[in-house]
Amino acid sequence: MDKEKKKKLLDLFQSKLDRSMRYYLDVCTRCGLCKDACFAYASVPKVEYTPVWRAEVVRKIYKRYFRLSGRFFPFWGDSAEIDDETMKQVNEAAYSCTGCRRCMMYCPFGIDTQAIQSIAKLLLIGNESEPEILSMLADASIEKGKSLDLYKESFIQGIKNLENEVIAKWKGESDQTIPLDVEGANILYVALAGAHSIIPAASILNAAKENWSLSFFEAVNFGAFVGDPRKTQLIAKRIIDEAIRLQVKEVVICECGTAFRVMKHLVGKQPFEVSHIAEVMARYFKEGRIRVEKDRIEGMITYHDPCQSARNGGVIEEPRYVLQQLTSKFIEMTPNREYSLCCGGGGGLVALENEEFREKTGKAKVNQIKETGAAIVATGCENCHTQLGFLNERYNMGVKVEFLSNMVANSLVLES
Amino acid sequence: MSDEIKAEKTMDLKGLPCPQPVIKVSKGIKEIQVGQVLQAVTTDPGALADFPAWARTSGNEILKTEQGGGLITFWIKRMK
Repeated sequence: MDKEKKKKLLDLFQSKLDRSMRYYLDVCTRCGLCKDACFAYASVPKVEYTPVWRAEVVRKIYKRYFRLSGRFFPFWGDSAEIDDETMKQVNEAAYSCTGCRRCMMYCPFGIDTQAIQSIAKLLLIGNESEPEILSMLADASIEKGKSLDLYKESFIQGIKNLENEVIAKWKGESDQTIPLDVEGANILYVALAGAHSIIPAASILNAAKENWSLSFFEAVNFGAFVGDPRKTQLIAKRIIDEAIRLQVKEVVICECGTAFRVMKHLVGKQPFEVSHIAEVMARYFKEGRIRVEKDRIEGMITYHDPCQSARNGGVIEEPRYVLQQLTSKFIEMTPNREYSLCCGGGGGLVALENEEFREKTGKAKVNQIKETGAAIVATGCENCHTQLGFLNERYNMGVKVEFLSNMVANSLVLES
Repeated sequence: MSDEIKAEKTMDLKGLPCPQPVIKVSKGIKEIQVGQVLQAVTTDPGALADFPAWARTSGNEILKTEQGGGLITFWIKRMK
């Protein structure tokens, strides 16, 4: 690695060193309490899959270049030069961590491994060795924001093709199917690109007689997955600008944990509320705005808490409230809520299609699901849904993986 | 008209959720030569906007888009 590259990487490292980051890098006592918290280590007990090992990869660079002892006596202590070999370890650390932050719940010092891994991901971008696919998807999202007029008509056409399916799910009165560009709407619903993320929510919002508008942009934020703060903000800004232009009261994020967390917690205060679709469904039930036929969906149902919307986003009780309306056969996984085990699909891993890693490190989640005896695993995140479906297939679990919104939409009934 | 475009490779992406269609196409296009055409069939309505945005940023060219029977078909020329 040449001097110029090294300097660039160290400047990037420096840019992340605020007070809390220095604390995370300084205080670890290597007690090892974090290791049993990690879904990957729980599935495959390898030292490289412990949060402390991943953090140490970054911490060694920190010790070498940002602490006095490392700068003057680099041969002392556990420090590491930043070079090609170290960057290989940085890659392994960053992309064997989903950023679920379960380890933080068990760390006596509250060390945020995801924050530390955000340094690792930024170094990989600086080294131009980040996963190309994630950067490419982030760039495509930004491009859509910059040149919406080029893609608007195609999107409108694609959405129009879905209208009959929305009508088929909700047969009640409604003067709308999938409204777009509605100024003054109460809700701007931000979906994913797929029909599965649009049709159920549209049926529910119409059933509740909501004044809503569908966003032109997809919720998913590949800038966050790849760990690029600039791209993360640019991708989120497309939605923020749309929400401000339409003067909506609330931005509702579809079942995508990272998209929700970015919009709710990482873009600062905005002139609108931010909610997860599970929170909106729970609200509609409480206000009597939607009704469902309880137990129309047969079989025992369990719920997988998506790390980014539950532990890191605070949406924990609302999905359970929704499930209580749908079924009398709900069973919790153990542990659950903020202590839920990651499924192993987050942090961009599903998009990377790293199937071998995802299969072996998903074993703890598989065992947890099997112990419930449930026939259906409900969840509220696209990444989790994809990963759970993948594990279901690989481990022959014989369950059905379902989105909460789809279950609600399929159980809707007209007013009695 | 689609018969006029000869595709070197066809990818069946029906039923795949976001963002798998674009991911698979970005990998698939590397398996053909520059100047050759990839045909991709998807059911994802978002692909109508996502594929052109991906093509623009990745420097490839969408020659034609066709819709019908719930399917969306793209003919994409590898440009580099």
